[in-house]
Amino acid sequence: MGHVKGLKCRECGREYAVDPIYVCEFCFGPLEVAYDYASIAASISREKIVQRPENLWRYRELLPIDGEPQVGLNSGYTPLIKADNLAKAIGIDELYIKDDTVVHPTLSFKDRVVAVALTKAKEFNFDTVACASTGNLAHSVSAHGARAGFNRFIFIPATLEASKIVASLVYEPNLIAVDGNYDEVNRLCSEVANKYRWAFVNINIRPFYAEGSKTIGFEIAEQLGWQAPDNIVVPCASGSLLTKVWKALKEFKEIGILKELNTKIYGSQATGCNPISAAVKAGTDVIRPVKPNTIAKSLAIGNPADGFYASQVIRETGGHAEDVSDQEIIDAIKLLAKTEGIFAETAGGVTLAATRKLIESGRIKREGRTVICITGNGLKTQEALQGHTTMPHHIKPSLSSFEEVLEKINGN
Amino acid sequence: MKTRVKLTFPQNLIKEPVIFTMAKQFNVMPNIRRARITETVGEMVLELEGEDAALDKGIAFLKEKGIEVEMVVGDVIE
Repeated sequence: MGHVKGLKCRECGREYAVDPIYVCEFCFGPLEVAYDYASIAASISREKIVQRPENLWRYRELLPIDGEPQVGLNSGYTPLIKADNLAKAIGIDELYIKDDTVVHPTLSFKDRVVAVALTKAKEFNFDTVACASTGNLAHSVSAHGARAGFNRFIFIPATLEASKIVASLVYEPNLIAVDGNYDEVNRLCSEVANKYRWAFVNINIRPFYAEGSKTIGFEIAEQLGWQAPDNIVVPCASGSLLTKVWKALKEFKEIGILKELNTKIYGSQATGCNPISAAVKAGTDVIRPVKPNTIAKSLAIGNPADGFYASQVIRETGGHAEDVSDQEIIDAIKLLAKTEGIFAETAGGVTLAATRKLIESGRIKREGRTVICITGNGLKTQEALQGHTTMPHHIKPSLSSFEEVLEKINGN
Repeated sequence: MKTRVKLTFPQNLIKEPVIFTMAKQFNVMPNIRRARITETVGEMVLELEGEDAALDKGIAFLKEKGIEVEMVVGDVIE
């Protein structure tokens, strides 16, 4: 038995029944899941949570399902790593990495949202799931959907490089390569979602799908010993993840699992696609759409659906936002790898590079406890590092050739 | 056909009756659902109804005027 009261418009507050709908019929505002927090508070506790399996469903009362979890039973509960080497390198006292480079099964935080979306799709009796994606979301819908027995339709712009789609194609979804630009693909997908009775995870299932992101926030609090950190830095594409990390902490406070909550939420973007950080830095909540041009493809959303709400959260919590160049992204990926042994995708580089800037500008205090969200695995975006890594030492198959190189390495 | 769009007006167009002009010129019926004006821009969320060709022409007219026209739901390619 779930604890969802219904769906509610974020703009006008109008309430709707639980259905695969996503936009208010009156003001066209986005719909969000509303919960009965009194009944949740009565049925969940720290003790109950810790006895459950280590996956994202350990917080199931705060997720929008009615029955048993059906998808993603091994997803979530990723490590929260105390990053002392990196903390020293960037001049901060206490730093943690929420490491979603290792989410099961496709190595990005999208496995969390898709787990919730597809469980809900089962509850709604859909037999087909779909998404529009150039990367992580496509991988996750393809993989989770395969195991769960859904027909799957993945839409991509036809210009996308072949190497980007292998990690989806291996699961044998129906991959539809649309001969058009991003705007045309966006528009087509909305039309398809409105016409066919499919679970389009980030369109008509979006209110449920987005809730899966809260599990990052829940896990951070639990893994810090049921405490919220001083600062959390979150990468922003649509802005949804940032709003949900904050929603998670507020919900934990609301139901008494957290005693105190003074966390500041910070956003990070690439300068080549910075509609949210530009608005925050300009002190406005008007999000001006941009045409993305950055190596951080997984954050390249020029017209972010939740940009306005993300900027509101940043303001409400006293956080800030920063954006970084492609070179800063690459440098940060390398820094994270050589200090903490974690290979993040470009979005991870964005988050770390932005964190450095926020520390240097004094927006993040050096003495606080800071968590950065690393949301995807670097093995997926290796091409971004082409020509930017150290080179191998070539030797002949002889001990003398090896020792010649060894001398150079040791600086003799 | 109906379409839902979000318009962002630059400051110099806030005082112009652009929506009315589009409606009249291209026979497109606007139904405004939400709007706000800040110090620097105007934002409007509305539904446009008309023949397919008329909608395309009307939206092209708005863009030519310098108005940003986006889908209400934001980008869906993630």
